Amino acid sequence: MQRTGQLETPAPAAPEVVAVRPSARAAARVRGWLAVTVPPVVALVVLVIGWEFWVREREIAEYLVPKPSAVFEALRDDPGRYVTAARESLTAAMGGLIIASVGAFALAVLMAHSRLLERALYPPALLVKLTPIVAVYPLFAIWFGFGVGPKIAIAALITFFPMLVNALIGLRAVDPAALDFMRALDASRWRVLWSLRMPSSLPYVFAALRISVPLSLIGAVVAEFLSGSSGMGQLILIANGDFDTPALFGAIVVLATLGVALTGIVAYIERRVLFWHDSMTGP
Amino acid sequence: MTSNPVADRAQSAPATASMPAITLESVAHQYEAERTTVRALAAVDLSVAPGEFVSIVGPSGCGKTTLLRAVAGLLEPASGRVEVFGSPPRTARRNGALGLVTQEPGLMPWRSVEANVRLAIDLAGSDGSATSWLERVGIDRYAGLYPRELSGGMKQRVALARALAVDPRLLLMDEPFGALDELSREAMRLELLALWERERISVLFVTHSIREALLLSDRVVVMSGSPGRILEEVAVDLSRPRTDALLTEPAFVESERHIRDLLRTSA
Ligand SMILES: Nc1ncnc2c1ncn2[C@@H]1O[C@H](COP(=O)(O)OP(=O)(O)OP(=O)(O)O)[C@@H](O)[C@H]1O
Ligand SMILES: [Mg+2]
Repeated sequence: MQRTGQLETPAPAAPEVVAVRPSARAAARVRGWLAVTVPPVVALVVLVIGWEFWVREREIAEYLVPKPSAVFEALRDDPGRYVTAARESLTAAMGGLIIASVGAFALAVLMAHSRLLERALYPPALLVKLTPIVAVYPLFAIWFGFGVGPKIAIAALITFFPMLVNALIGLRAVDPAALDFMRALDASRWRVLWSLRMPSSLPYVFAALRISVPLSLIGAVVAEFLSGSSGMGQLILIANGDFDTPALFGAIVVLATLGVALTGIVAYIERRVLFWHDSMTGP
Repeated sequence: MTSNPVADRAQSAPATASMPAITLESVAHQYEAERTTVRALAAVDLSVAPGEFVSIVGPSGCGKTTLLRAVAGLLEPASGRVEVFGSPPRTARRNGALGLVTQEPGLMPWRSVEANVRLAIDLAGSDGSATSWLERVGIDRYAGLYPRELSGGMKQRVALARALAVDPRLLLMDEPFGALDELSREAMRLELLALWERERISVLFVTHSIREALLLSDRVVVMSGSPGRILEEVAVDLSRPRTDALLTEPAFVESERHIRDLLRTSA
């Protein structure tokens, strides 16, 4: 076909572009960043200092509430102990999270394409979710031994359901007009899955990750409590047995830091991937 | 013996040349919900000839979108027969013969304007560049933007470019110019007519504007609602090209008044 005849179509009014110096924009970004980070950091510092003085002033027993400085010393004196334990817990949590997320997403894809499969598999999945995970730990210990295996299994079990539900909703929540458009061009199921359903599901997938990342850490630590064999859970058990409250607090600080860091990483990736989504504002 | 060019053409384009682009025979549809049944279409008969430009006007909710979706094969009507170029809509879809502009733009928000048009070219296996189609609808300057950065009218232009890029033989359009300002509407109308005259495609065009329907079409189908049916098909015997000068001509004014009366009395 011939495509000639350029028509004089009035273009939409061009938005007025105001020149902004790059340095000015960078400065604005730094200011925005400082505005959100400085207040909580200041609050935290004030809290820690107040706590230190309160414990010193009242001469509160260390096994009840240690001074922040004592917690810091516990962490500084034997950092290797925390690093090793944290690495073990993190490996189990991330292993479980990745296995569960990939598996749940794959299952959601199948369920999104077949109401029969959905009706068949959703109730069992819900059943698994509603079963208290601590109850299944002994079984996992029998199946997977006492190493990292049952810890991964627990972390996977606890994160599976949020991903399944969210991915299924996301894969179904496609813009009907976009779907009509693709179907009018006779796009295959796979093409629709790849070019429409999967991208549409991403906001839901990230919502699931924000829930399941901290859950995976909980799963790993709970498994370690139950096995008492390694990781942050074991470290906490030992510190507790020794009435070593500063070490206990140290473990809590390490776990909280891990949770915050992982959540931050997910949020960072989310901002990069979902730049097109309405939930993302600003640069 | 000299060959007859008309006969030659008829042979090279077998059957399809004389076969209607669209045939609807007593097409009826109802939407079944848990407690209610909405009768959207009742026994609609319609035929669109190849190369014909047909508009549909009718009150909101009278079943225009339902009808268009049935033609595209996106909805299986409860009863009746739908044919596109003599075969079921599915076949036309498979041959890449359908271009669809939906009422909502339906763009992929994760794709840039250009990538949205490229997806259409890709799916249809048509040739031509995305940029050249964007140029035609006047938004090539925004090729790199994402849908959420566009105004409603700009999105509709992208949807239009995307449907045209498919290189369809039948163009189905559901209020494609709804979000455009008056001047852009006119420009897009001219663009569409130029394309239609050049490519000899068939067009089924839903609009709320009687004037727009009269300026564009060979025939205006007037529908009424609950359940949706065709009140009358109004042939438009106005010479082309049609310009705004027509708006005051007696024949135009008469048709416009006639259609308005039809819509008013049925409401
Ligand atoms: N998916 C659906 N489920 C139930 N009822 C529906 C559905 N889609 C449309 N309807 C109903 O069918 C009737 C016709 O709808 P349709 O969308 O075809 O109207 P329309 O003529 O395109 O209206 P408009 O001009 O407002 O776009 C309406 O009464 C509507 O409520
Ligand atoms: Mg409609």
